[in-house]
Amino acid sequence: MIKRILAWLSVLLFAVFSIYPMLYVLGVSLRGDNAFQSQSLEILSASSTGKNFIDLFTQTDFLVWMRNSLWVSTVTTFLGVAFASTSAYALSRFQFRGRNTMLFSLLATQMFPPTMLILPFYIILSKLHLIDSFLGLFLIYSSTALPFCIWQMKAYYDTIPKELEEAAVLDGCSRWLTFYKIILPVSAPALVITALFSFMASWSEYVIAAVVLQDPQMYTLPLGLRSFQASLATQWGLYAAGALIVSVPVLILFISISRYLVSGLTMGSVKG
Amino acid sequence: MAHIEFTQITKSFKDHAILKGIDLDIANGEFLVLVGPSGCGKSTLLRLLAGLEKWDGGDIKVNGQSLKNLEPQDRDIAMVFQNYALYPHMNVAENMGFALKLQKKPKEEISRRVKEIAGLLQIDHLLERKPKDLSGGQRQRVALGRALARQTSIVLFDEPLSNLDAHLRSQMRVEIKRLHQAVKSTMIYVTHDQMEATTMGDRIAVLKDGRIEQIGTPSEIYHQPKNLFIASFIGSPEMNFMEGPVVHKLPWPEARRENQILGVRPEVFKISQGPLLPQELELGSFQIELSENLGGQQMLHGRLEGQTVRILVDSAEQFYMNQKVPVKIDLTKSHLFEKSNGQNQRLQEVKDFKEPQCPPGFA
Amino acid sequence: MKAGIALLAGLFLLLTGSGARADKMRIQVWHQMIYGHRQVLAEAIGEFEKENPDITIQATYRETEELRSSYQAAAMGGSGPELVYGPSDQVGPFATMGIIRPLEEVLPDTPWEHYDPLAIPLYEGRHYMLGALVGNHLMLIYNKKLLSTPPTTTDELIELGKKHTVDLDGDGKIDRYGLVFNYTEPFFIAPFIPAFGEPFMNENLQPNLNTAGLRDTFQFILDLRDKYRILPKECDYETANALFKQGKAAMLINGDWSWGDYKENKMDFGIARIPRVSSTGRWPRPLVGTAGYSLNANLKDPARLAATLRVLKYLTSEKVQALFTERVGTLPSLLSLREQEAVKNNPLLRVSSEIMDVGTPLPVVPEIRGLWDSLRTQYQKILAGSTTPSEAAKNAQSMAVAQIKDMNEILTPDASLGVVKLVILAGALALLWLLRKNALGFLKGFYGPQRFVYLMMLPAFIGIFAVIIYPFFYNIAISLSNFSLRTFQDWSLVGFHHYIATLSDPKFYSLFLKTVVWTLANVFFHVTLGVFLAVVINQVLPAKGFWRTLFIIPWAVPQYITALTWRGLFNQEYGPINLFLQQYLHLSPVQWLSQPVTAFLACIVTNVWLGFPFMMIVALGGLQSIPQSLYEAAYLDKANAWQRFRHITWPLLMPVMVPAALLGCIWTFNNLNIVWLVSNGGEPGDQTHILVSYVYKAAFNLYRYGYAAALSMLIFLILIGWSLGSLRAQFKKEQKS
Repeated sequence: MIKRILAWLSVLLFAVFSIYPMLYVLGVSLRGDNAFQSQSLEILSASSTGKNFIDLFTQTDFLVWMRNSLWVSTVTTFLGVAFASTSAYALSRFQFRGRNTMLFSLLATQMFPPTMLILPFYIILSKLHLIDSFLGLFLIYSSTALPFCIWQMKAYYDTIPKELEEAAVLDGCSRWLTFYKIILPVSAPALVITALFSFMASWSEYVIAAVVLQDPQMYTLPLGLRSFQASLATQWGLYAAGALIVSVPVLILFISISRYLVSGLTMGSVKG
Repeated sequence: MAHIEFTQITKSFKDHAILKGIDLDIANGEFLVLVGPSGCGKSTLLRLLAGLEKWDGGDIKVNGQSLKNLEPQDRDIAMVFQNYALYPHMNVAENMGFALKLQKKPKEEISRRVKEIAGLLQIDHLLERKPKDLSGGQRQRVALGRALARQTSIVLFDEPLSNLDAHLRSQMRVEIKRLHQAVKSTMIYVTHDQMEATTMGDRIAVLKDGRIEQIGTPSEIYHQPKNLFIASFIGSPEMNFMEGPVVHKLPWPEARRENQILGVRPEVFKISQGPLLPQELELGSFQIELSENLGGQQMLHGRLEGQTVRILVDSAEQFYMNQKVPVKIDLTKSHLFEKSNGQNQRLQEVKDFKEPQCPPGFA
Repeated sequence: MKAGIALLAGLFLLLTGSGARADKMRIQVWHQMIYGHRQVLAEAIGEFEKENPDITIQATYRETEELRSSYQAAAMGGSGPELVYGPSDQVGPFATMGIIRPLEEVLPDTPWEHYDPLAIPLYEGRHYMLGALVGNHLMLIYNKKLLSTPPTTTDELIELGKKHTVDLDGDGKIDRYGLVFNYTEPFFIAPFIPAFGEPFMNENLQPNLNTAGLRDTFQFILDLRDKYRILPKECDYETANALFKQGKAAMLINGDWSWGDYKENKMDFGIARIPRVSSTGRWPRPLVGTAGYSLNANLKDPARLAATLRVLKYLTSEKVQALFTERVGTLPSLLSLREQEAVKNNPLLRVSSEIMDVGTPLPVVPEIRGLWDSLRTQYQKILAGSTTPSEAAKNAQSMAVAQIKDMNEILTPDASLGVVKLVILAGALALLWLLRKNALGFLKGFYGPQRFVYLMMLPAFIGIFAVIIYPFFYNIAISLSNFSLRTFQDWSLVGFHHYIATLSDPKFYSLFLKTVVWTLANVFFHVTLGVFLAVVINQVLPAKGFWRTLFIIPWAVPQYITALTWRGLFNQEYGPINLFLQQYLHLSPVQWLSQPVTAFLACIVTNVWLGFPFMMIVALGGLQSIPQSLYEAAYLDKANAWQRFRHITWPLLMPVMVPAALLGCIWTFNNLNIVWLVSNGGEPGDQTHILVSYVYKAAFNLYRYGYAAALSMLIFLILIGWSLGSLRAQFKKEQKS
């Protein structure tokens, strides 16, 4: 009995811990004045107003940024899923020269400090004239999310019994059809996770976007939000409102696929 | 329809030889069973035929055409897998119709054929369900249906019943035989269960360590096993093997040599009462230790001439522990094996008393 | 289907194109103007475009520091905006790097004498920037509702300050402060230094920090905070601003850029010189500078150059300067404008000019960065109580000298260069030899029967190569070179110098230790919390879906939002954590972000917040695969909850958690965002750094690219070594069982 109470108490405590920061941001976004701070702990108060939200949509380019972000993230997700699922399939099913090297180097890519990739990125992109276009972003975003996604998908593929593909082959499927009609549908949980990670990699990414995109009409949401900040005069209300809205799609995505998350991530872990 | 020839097939995996030279000739429309202990290469042979593996040496021909460079998709072969390998994201109807869909057959035709086969297998009420909502036996039938819907000339079975319980297994054995009669394709069936082999095959090929030990009708294999391995492997309950002085009691010239083994099936033993027929020989006194009730019969376990043997008798008779009974054997149904190489020494002799010949398909 | 793909591809290419219009010439201007000024700029640009339909101007805002680093990156890559607008202290670095052009070259007959010299700073005898306004200087700003006359000496300042520092409602918390300002930033105390003693830079533009003047300045600020208690315990720019706007501060030290904000908030404020230091009688000398336009050195095309110059002339013209003055009250740089009514009669501008009379020009040389940085580090240490003013002054000087030396160092190839070349050659040959079979086989594979496989992997392979492998080797090259501020355009390989320097620097080892602590602490809490919550949700609570959703929230929020939010939560004055401590637990507030230990803790708490959901999800998955029958058997064996956990749950969960934990360690070790953003770049005093955040600082703040690259390589090697080691250990364990 005591155990139950303790369990409930600790869960509630951590629930507060989890949610409070976002509630705080909500409170800031509802503040009428541009002050980041107030001395009270209230989230909602008499002076709460939705003005920041309205201003966000009517007076800033927020919708433009959102459109850009949606476009970039969708394409990145598509590319990421396409490339990860195909490469992982090759790595899972076929023995070929250089396979083990490839596998290890995928893991190794996770270890590289992100800071030093920025300058070379810029150089490659400007040499290829991909600065200030979304194409450069697609390339970089999908490529940086790939190693983890390939790893995940490969682990999942490893759990699909070989007989399924043999049956498909005997039924008359070419290698491509086997992959497309049989393996892909069966791998739905892992595909969903790959899609989520690809989406998140681009939706929340700031540094690379800042390097690549110059035209404010092409800004993605992180860049847009950042423009509310100046080291000496931040518009906290707008920023908080924007931050909340930016977090919402990711949250929805996460929630809708959370049960896939549970099984999908384990697949990878169990098989190592 | 398909006539299949295996010629000197060899196959190795990583320096380990699985198949060491297989020659096999399968007649059109035949139901051939490949049987043997695990690791004997039977599944490998099947997969070579299907095209899922490539062989190292020899050739496989179907209707005179070599399969050497033919992809599995083009071989007109269907297979029923041990684990069914049903497509989890498709329902039963889609599973069964998948191959036909790939062949771009019209929808009505596919639907008709699927319903037909489903009716034959009594799964027509399950057509909308997904594999995960089916029981083991139902999945088995769907796997069968998927293979049959294609109406290929060759159908392969890779230990399809090993995941079913005993009752279902005996049911399915009969079903598959019936299907063979209905469909008339050439069928090759792999199993490690000798009961399936003898009840289902037109002919049986017994494999051991990558070689065919013997091919023949179930009756031939049962009554004329070429060696000790086959004799012990085929037939349930298992044959009794006896060594030592008791062997010398046999009236055969070969029995006078050293290191011979006498093989007698439990049902060939009889309690000795009254006069002996010319082919019968009294072996000695059998001391009963244990009795297993098998329903209509009972299996008596006990000692004969210092060795443990099993005797199958009618269950109506009553026996008691440590009872000693004299036993006799029918010499025409007994075998003598050379201990060193397991060869049956008296194969020719036994041939004199043949069983009546039945046409294939009714064994 | 194929037609559909073609259509999509076409649409795709169409939409990825850049926003440039082919017929008009597009001139890009990057700036760091604050919100109010941006509107005016937009207005001015609009006018120009109407009159010059063949040109469009694209103005892009970047925050000052970022403007600096992205302009550097862009220019280095051979592109970048045509004009860059920023504070005058960016001239030194940019000119040294050769990425801006002297204006004499392209505008030879500019009437320089028409401009306030402060607006046209000279660097090495040439003009690199044309400023449109003069100012950016600090002053005393006071709330007229609370004070009618401002103090003129520091003694008066202290008196007035004490009078106005009150606890109005008697709850133990100070509700109004006498004085607030961003006193942790050296720029804000720089004016006091020449008032107490010698200036912080001598005539040769070298640092002069080990002075009594600096020591006394430090002491003065400390006294304001601790002895006279007129300053809040912790006060950054935001806090000072907010306090003043809410009427909770009588006086504020801030710059002329803030007037717009206060006007908007309808504050009745006055400005004055920062009070004279009573002990020396001297006025503090605020640094006066300009913000102006510089020309990108990469701009070569004559037509484009001509258009850019038109834009430049327009944006610094009388018309535009007057517009700015009218709208946001800036002081124009053209002397002629200063005579006009609008300026002369503007009370703020008049006082501002008086203030500037005691000002001193902001140095533009790149050395100033090294100076600021070392000053900031030591100063924040004093405020945190870890050193004394005289120690700090001494250390600041030696640090500044060392940093400047490092920055200016042009490494020449040393003995090790030969070794390097040999090693690279040998390494490349060895690699080729080892991989010859692999590489050949790989290439041949494209033509063989397995072609399908290779094709499937091709796109990913190309992507990973371009985006990760190539930069990786580029980084190795930089780490072996002398790439830095002065060799921006023409760097060359020099040998192992940076590696030796790094490995012999004790800071490396302390950072390494800190990073290990950071990683272990984080992963420990991630896993513990994650497993705990997973077990409780799975086995004790109803509505698993709800709880799972709830606890995922931290993971879903983008990292940069998380970091800034938590930074706000830890704010000493306004953060909910301290408010909670004070109002509900009646404990005194903690100065989270200005003490090294607590700042580090704050970073850890933030990272734990955003990391535990991942481990929780993995644990939930692992728990699902543990058969219920095991628990039932244990229950019958009379095992209690803890024993069930220890003997069933944990051992069966381990194989799932271990790989996740390993991955988590790698990610945490390399996590730059949180540490950087929460501690605002390593504050206090560069003591809240882990390896990767220090790499970022070295590269983008201190221009030590080669050093940063070498450090990155070392980090990478550490991680590779460690993961190989742990993989092997795992393998051995699996072999045993």
